[in-house]
Amino acid sequence: MNAIEIRDVTKQFGTVVAVNQLSLAVPEGSIYGFIGPNGSGKTTTIRMIMDILRPDSGDIRVFDGHSRASVRDQIGYLPEERGLYKRMTVRQVLRYYGQLKGKPLAEIDPMIKQWLADLQLSDWVDKRVQALSKGMAQKVQFISAVVSMPRLLILDEPFSGLDPVNADALRDAVLALRRSGTTIVFSTHDMSAAERLCDRIFMIFKGRKVLDGTLDEIQQKYGQDTVRLRTAGGRAALAGLAGIESLTDHGNFQDVRLTGDPQAFLRTLVQQTTVLQFEITKPSLHDLFVRIAKPTAEDLREAGEKAS
Amino acid sequence: MTRVLTIATAEFLRLARSKAFLIGILLMPVLFGVMMLFSRYAERHVDLEDRRLGVVDGTGVLYEPLAAAAVEFNKESGEGADRTGPHFLTERIEQGSRDLNELRLEMSDRVRKKELFAFVIIPPTALTATSAARDQREKARRARWAGKTTPEAKDLEKKGEVQYYTETIAYDAMPDWLTATLNDEIAKRRFASAGIEGEAALKLTSRLDLATFGLVARGTDGAVSEAKEIDKLAAIGPPIFFLVLMFMTVMTSAQHLLNAIIEEKMSRICEVLLGSVSPFQLLMGKLIGVSAVSVLLALVYFAGATFAVFQSGRWELLHPALMLWFLLFLVCAALMFGAIFLALGSACASISDAQSLLQPAMTLMLLGYLGSFVAMRAPDSGLAIGMSLFPTMAPFTMILRMAIPPGVPLWQVLLSIAILIATTGGVVWAASRVFRIGILMQGKAPNLPELMRWIRSEQPDRARPAQAD
Repeated sequence: MNAIEIRDVTKQFGTVVAVNQLSLAVPEGSIYGFIGPNGSGKTTTIRMIMDILRPDSGDIRVFDGHSRASVRDQIGYLPEERGLYKRMTVRQVLRYYGQLKGKPLAEIDPMIKQWLADLQLSDWVDKRVQALSKGMAQKVQFISAVVSMPRLLILDEPFSGLDPVNADALRDAVLALRRSGTTIVFSTHDMSAAERLCDRIFMIFKGRKVLDGTLDEIQQKYGQDTVRLRTAGGRAALAGLAGIESLTDHGNFQDVRLTGDPQAFLRTLVQQTTVLQFEITKPSLHDLFVRIAKPTAEDLREAGEKAS
Repeated sequence: MTRVLTIATAEFLRLARSKAFLIGILLMPVLFGVMMLFSRYAERHVDLEDRRLGVVDGTGVLYEPLAAAAVEFNKESGEGADRTGPHFLTERIEQGSRDLNELRLEMSDRVRKKELFAFVIIPPTALTATSAARDQREKARRARWAGKTTPEAKDLEKKGEVQYYTETIAYDAMPDWLTATLNDEIAKRRFASAGIEGEAALKLTSRLDLATFGLVARGTDGAVSEAKEIDKLAAIGPPIFFLVLMFMTVMTSAQHLLNAIIEEKMSRICEVLLGSVSPFQLLMGKLIGVSAVSVLLALVYFAGATFAVFQSGRWELLHPALMLWFLLFLVCAALMFGAIFLALGSACASISDAQSLLQPAMTLMLLGYLGSFVAMRAPDSGLAIGMSLFPTMAPFTMILRMAIPPGVPLWQVLLSIAILIATTGGVVWAASRVFRIGILMQGKAPNLPELMRWIRSEQPDRARPAQAD
């Protein structure tokens, strides 16, 4: 069963089309990565899933019901920019957010206790939010999103600004939620986190879906055309070689995308320099993202014309 | 509905626990206390100067009584540490052979050097001046106001019997004293010249006192009730109390809503809230919670006032029915102004953005509040009735008029509250239309025409400019 089904959804603000003919299915119990550059329509999509915004056309179903108030209660949301009432205590904030989802205190209080214990915040329950460190406030914000036991959890950059210990604790919490059947939408700019955590990945660019599928499917689709190289000559040795479509220099090694046969390229290369490593790899999510979202020469020209 | 109540409760607790509420509770008594203390202090301390008055007495007979009156005046002001007012010191200036203009210049220089505070020139004609000359001057003045004047009339206007010169125009204690003293003395002389002196003159000038009473009615025992003398406190106290309390509570709640919504917008809390409730629920919850706080605030004051009445035994100052009416008007006013402030706050990204948008709303509120003080002088005038029916002014002016005896006909109260409720409903509706768009908008604050478009718009997202995500 799908937790979210988006069909042909278009959303326009003024004259700007923020989301264009989008269709997407998020299976229940999965972690779905939402990636895309700033301003590409990610937040608009998320807001439509939460019924903060209504699509102009098309249809969104969450848990087989139209996105309405009852569905909203089954969604937990951690926005990218954190917002907690500074003067309230941790307990007051968490109770308030839970009650807004229609849960009685009798159900909320045990959840608060459990989550605060899991994330090592039990001592802070009656402290005011303004007394918390940034990391602690972020964990409290995460708890505020899950305290109502949502079936669908939407996380926008949950790990940004967290130290590795806290990031690990939060990741474990997310994985535990998935194991208990919660569907998770994970919106992020951290490509390696998306690769590690997500079952499926969806990329939106200029309001349109440009990638959708498991990491394997996506990499398969874009072919095994990337070669990781380590040579004695380094980048200089690659200069002027035929068959290189693009090159990413990492310093100690280079990733190149080839137009022709990798074996033929290797034969040319060994004549130029000593090859220390030659590995045919799948393109990383990072590379795919950049490949799609990198402004083309045409975009840059347009931007230049606008600026002048 | 339970969500609305959850928000209302949270908002109620937030405001009731906040400093603004405490300040709201304490502000009025503290303000009154400070005002009373200050005016008492000012009375005693503000003017303890020796003010030297140069007197050019053309009559030759008025200086002596003036100097004697000054000595009397100074005695009343007291001496040394007990002194409560200024001392007026007179100095006789002889004109001698000098030209009057030269004399004026000389005296003016002495005032500039602070040797004198002011000087007065009493012409020889002062003793024989009649009211006819005064009437002529008044006529000339009216002609000038009407735009019809002649150079002669202008000259006439400038010729007072007595001319007082000073650098400190705003200081009126000395000219007032001078006017009273000279007039008394001249009147005495006129009586004397008519052959009336001493006791007889006092009898002729003795004044009457006027006492003000309420109306009488026939009691249940058939006797006509005794008229009650009206005292100032009963006539002015309750109206001012209700008016100031109304303004203060409405202001406290509206200001809180504005700050709260801008804080929630800036910290993106509202995104989380909108993930749980609709904008309309959020708006209504906040309005209800804050209105409840303003009612609580009023009840605290009512309790305090009742206690004060109980202590002083002045039961006629208590108006239980008016308190209930007050609460009804208060709830409407808190909802109406709260909705306006909330809508404007939702459309702005910061407090400073909100300032310019708020000005019309603030003006509306202040017009009702300050205008009511004007209405207090003639609470049954057409203007006062009009103001008490106009919805943004009604909560202030109607409550004020109701607190002034004999009160207001019931139909006016009912009409006023009906108009107010209808308007409040409309304002809350319009505010919710602005709110649903403003709350999710970042960036530049809209102007009034844009707000009007938001209210009319059936497709809120089309009216909202594109935003980064």
